[in-house]
Amino acid sequence: MAQETRIIENTWDLTAYQWKIESDALDLFVKGLKDKKILGRKCPQCGTVYVPGPTYCRKCFRDIDQVVEVSQEGTLDAFTVNLADVKGTIVEHPYITCTVKLDGTHSFLMGVLEGWTDWRSIKEGMRVKAVWKDVTQGALADLSHFQLTEK
Amino acid sequence: MNERVAVVGYKQTKHTFDSPVARERMIYELVKSLFKDLGITRDDIDTFIFASNDFTDGRTISEVYTVPRIGSFMKDETKVEADGLNAALYAYMRILSGLYETALVIGFSMAGSEFRVPLTQAYTLDPVYERPRGIINFYSTAALQASAYMKKYKFTDEDLARLTVKNLQNANNNPYAARKEPTISVEDVLNSKPLYLPIRQAHVSAYADGACAVILSSKKAAKKFTDTPVWIDGVGHSMDTYYIGDRDLLGMEHLSAAAKKAYKMAGIKNPKKEIDFAELHTNFASEEPVFAEAMGLFKPGSGKDVVKNGDSGIGGALPVNPSGGPLGANPINATGLIRLAEASEQLRKEAGKNQVKGAKTAVVHAQDGPGAQLNTVFVVRR
Ligand SMILES: [Zn+2]
Repeated sequence: MAQETRIIENTWDLTAYQWKIESDALDLFVKGLKDKKILGRKCPQCGTVYVPGPTYCRKCFRDIDQVVEVSQEGTLDAFTVNLADVKGTIVEHPYITCTVKLDGTHSFLMGVLEGWTDWRSIKEGMRVKAVWKDVTQGALADLSHFQLTEK
Repeated sequence: MNERVAVVGYKQTKHTFDSPVARERMIYELVKSLFKDLGITRDDIDTFIFASNDFTDGRTISEVYTVPRIGSFMKDETKVEADGLNAALYAYMRILSGLYETALVIGFSMAGSEFRVPLTQAYTLDPVYERPRGIINFYSTAALQASAYMKKYKFTDEDLARLTVKNLQNANNNPYAARKEPTISVEDVLNSKPLYLPIRQAHVSAYADGACAVILSSKKAAKKFTDTPVWIDGVGHSMDTYYIGDRDLLGMEHLSAAAKKAYKMAGIKNPKKEIDFAELHTNFASEEPVFAEAMGLFKPGSGKDVVKNGDSGIGGALPVNPSGGPLGANPINATGLIRLAEASEQLRKEAGKNQVKGAKTAVVHAQDGPGAQLNTVFVVRR
């Protein structure tokens, strides 16, 4: 019985696709970031505050048009120390990725956590605040990182 | 165990060649308005089934962004990587199992504006023998089949043009159709852009942006949705080989097998007499006689006479695609499911100008793969 395998070469034309993505949630969010504000939408039926805020509530399956500016402070939910990159290579400068629940919201924002010296002393539930880039341009990266406000 | 399953609700978008809204908005609005029409909420649906295709859509997890948009947040939700009628088959089986009473099935595509259909379809071909050489694609496969049928049964370019005009006239009276060519003549079709002879541009279905949602329910739960359920009395499904060279493109034995299975289940002995009309998933006009004959709706090779006598027209002996079929709108993945919605509309006498008089039993068909590799057949009754 034959045991050989072989590689068949093929190409893929990447111009085959161009997608439209609904932009309401992203547009509102980055518009806020430019002014150093965090904007979301609140469902009038169940009270859920989504950040970024879609124009519908996934629980109530209805439209939401109520825009709310939310607090720039919140609590640390979870974190991980990034020692490697996605290829598995050990990085020179480890950093922390975290999820944060801003006060009064029901979504988690993901970001980089700063303001720590020893990661072993970081605890879930610690208070954090949003820190902005000096110059904002209406992009997701305008929100630079979250800073621990308690030791 | 549930014993009988019905179509109890359906809605399709007005299909277009360039949707002004993204697909997640399109399906959200569609499902929301279907729920409103029926006076129900997402709590009334037990299971949600998508029909979308990572390959033809060009994104991994092609239902990305869409899950909460049909009301299935935190609910039982799954996906079929094929036409929406296959998703309906899946829903039908889930309801028969007795574990679910109701299901929402949705198919959608942005084939009109977001991707180049023949190019993306080509990536689904056999990567060893077919794809690398680039000499075969979905269009040329259909052309090989059309050419074989036309030569064997003396079906002329003019016959094919008449068939095309018949469908486009029906599409013109269909409010959901994307393609509106009210004045198209046989001459226009004969002179349209040649692509893969005998296939010309006018024969090609209208790849479009659009969606269709259908709600199925057990007999027990049907009353909650409607007083006029449409019963699914027979189903059949059959798949031919992946490699096109191993198939009889003209004989379509697998389609015959799927149809026979559905007829047997529905107690139909003579489909020519007992079926009142058919909604077929044809990607090209030339597929209509081939499919209709393989499904036992007309005598083999009778395509020429059927066209001459107008047998497949709305007032004919056995109307085929009174909706205009995919020549009017082909939002890939939704197209076969639309056949079910259109047939249900006919059986409930809601088809307006395209109404087939006295229609009580219909056959619905969907295909997938080049040259209809995979076929699904439903027999539905009112
Ligand atoms: Zn809500």
